[in-house]
Amino acid sequence: MVVITTKKPVEEVLNVLKDNNAKKLFLVSCGVCSALCQTGGEQGLEEWKEILEKEGYEIVNGLVVDDVCDNREMAKVVRKNDADIQNADAIVTLSCGLGVQSTIEVLSKKHPQKKVFVTNNTEFMGMTERIGRFYMRCRGCGDCLLNETGGICPITTCAKSLMNGPCGGMVNGKCEVGNYEKDCGWVLIYNRLKEIGRLDLFSKLRDPVDWSESGHQREVIWR
Amino acid sequence: MVEKKIYSKLGEKLANGDFILTGELEPEKTCDLSHTIQEAKEMAPYVVAANVTDSPLGIVTINSMAASHIIQKEAGLEVIWQLTVRDVNKLGIAGMIMGGHALGLRNVLSLTGDHPALGDMPESKPVFDLDSATLVRLVKEMVDKGTINGHEIEHPPTLHVGAAANPNADPMEAEILKIGRKAQAGCEFIQTQVVYDLDRTIEFLSEIKKYNVPVLLGIFPMKSYGIAKGFDTFVPGVDVPKDILAKWKNIKTEFKDDKKEQKRVYDQANYEFFKPFISELKRKGLLAGVHCMAVHYPRIFPKLMEVIQA
Repeated sequence: MVVITTKKPVEEVLNVLKDNNAKKLFLVSCGVCSALCQTGGEQGLEEWKEILEKEGYEIVNGLVVDDVCDNREMAKVVRKNDADIQNADAIVTLSCGLGVQSTIEVLSKKHPQKKVFVTNNTEFMGMTERIGRFYMRCRGCGDCLLNETGGICPITTCAKSLMNGPCGGMVNGKCEVGNYEKDCGWVLIYNRLKEIGRLDLFSKLRDPVDWSESGHQREVIWR
Repeated sequence: MVEKKIYSKLGEKLANGDFILTGELEPEKTCDLSHTIQEAKEMAPYVVAANVTDSPLGIVTINSMAASHIIQKEAGLEVIWQLTVRDVNKLGIAGMIMGGHALGLRNVLSLTGDHPALGDMPESKPVFDLDSATLVRLVKEMVDKGTINGHEIEHPPTLHVGAAANPNADPMEAEILKIGRKAQAGCEFIQTQVVYDLDRTIEFLSEIKKYNVPVLLGIFPMKSYGIAKGFDTFVPGVDVPKDILAKWKNIKTEFKDDKKEQKRVYDQANYEFFKPFISELKRKGLLAGVHCMAVHYPRIFPKLMEVIQA
């Protein structure tokens, strides 16, 4: 599993830095997911250094960190590079949204006023076919249905996340959203359940998603 | 067997097994419903009730609950309130069901609704908290048990709830099993997507007969060649047969100098196409009636009555 990211337009990032009067920057680049997506890692770090230096920014430090989203990793980075962090106007993370927020949380005790910005848009938790081809297959709803839907997720593959599809927007197995180019998730489920001899599961009337648990900030805490 | 409760003229006719005709009204992006009310008045002598659409194709129009109430009141025509699960969550929809009842609405058609991405406010949040089957189940719970999520309603609503079916769907079996879910949810009537293929329609209706839900067949009489061509081109999954298109094109050219005669010939051509089509399905006991989806074509209703009564 990889958190798939894409690059924000350079202009957007530069405008944010300008708006925040951040001139001296500490770059933190994700060495795992964003490296795979070519939005972070060594390559991303070099790209951003070049862009920012050309625009007149001072790069106080630039590091590739294995798990920017892991508080423990970021705590080490902060401990080892305290002087540079103090010296920087802002931290710029080449990561997903988790990386930014992990950095802010780790900095909150010692450097609560330090600004942290991000160069990427977080797209989804993705399946990798190969580099440059990533697909959303799971939304992390917290109540996995895959055992009953032939291993195909209706919440992800149905454009309406319906629990009882297909809807009237399906034509010849394709979905009305996106001009009938993508497969209808519920037809995929039907085909799969038919193939494995479990159409009885397809016939079942399913309850709506229970949002009482999944509709707000979720946590997994077991120790 | 529990006696079926009747809340509307539509419910009564379906319970009696009368072969009926329903129509369709499509309010637009306006707060003035006078044109729609006029159309409702013109079809009122022929139809038992008319559907009032809920922002079809995701193109925002006047709210269907408000429009349904006004049309019913002003035109004296019973409505089938189309309600999609696209725009409102479960909590909001439950409130709307009570509101719809309080406004005098007694039939509701549960629909998924076209995705906002197709319409003129594509940035809208697609809600789809319920789906068309679980909306049916919610209405049935509210009406039959007088509860919402197990909580008592002081004065519960009384509405009949229907759903849609698409005989053109491919794979057909997925659609048939889906109708099974809607029937299980308590669906009281079905209105189909527009059909032109008799063999396919017979196959589909024969398959869903086991669910014992009365079916109103969706038809689309074509007012002109332009409408027929447009329907064929722009309505995904529905093909107008080539010979029909050719015939309509011929009427367009042959009677281009006599509009009055042209109208008469179009109406007659619709009659000639739909009469044997519907008679065959009626004869096979597959239909409870016909749902005419041709909006802005009220003059066809006397002809359709002849078809229904044949």
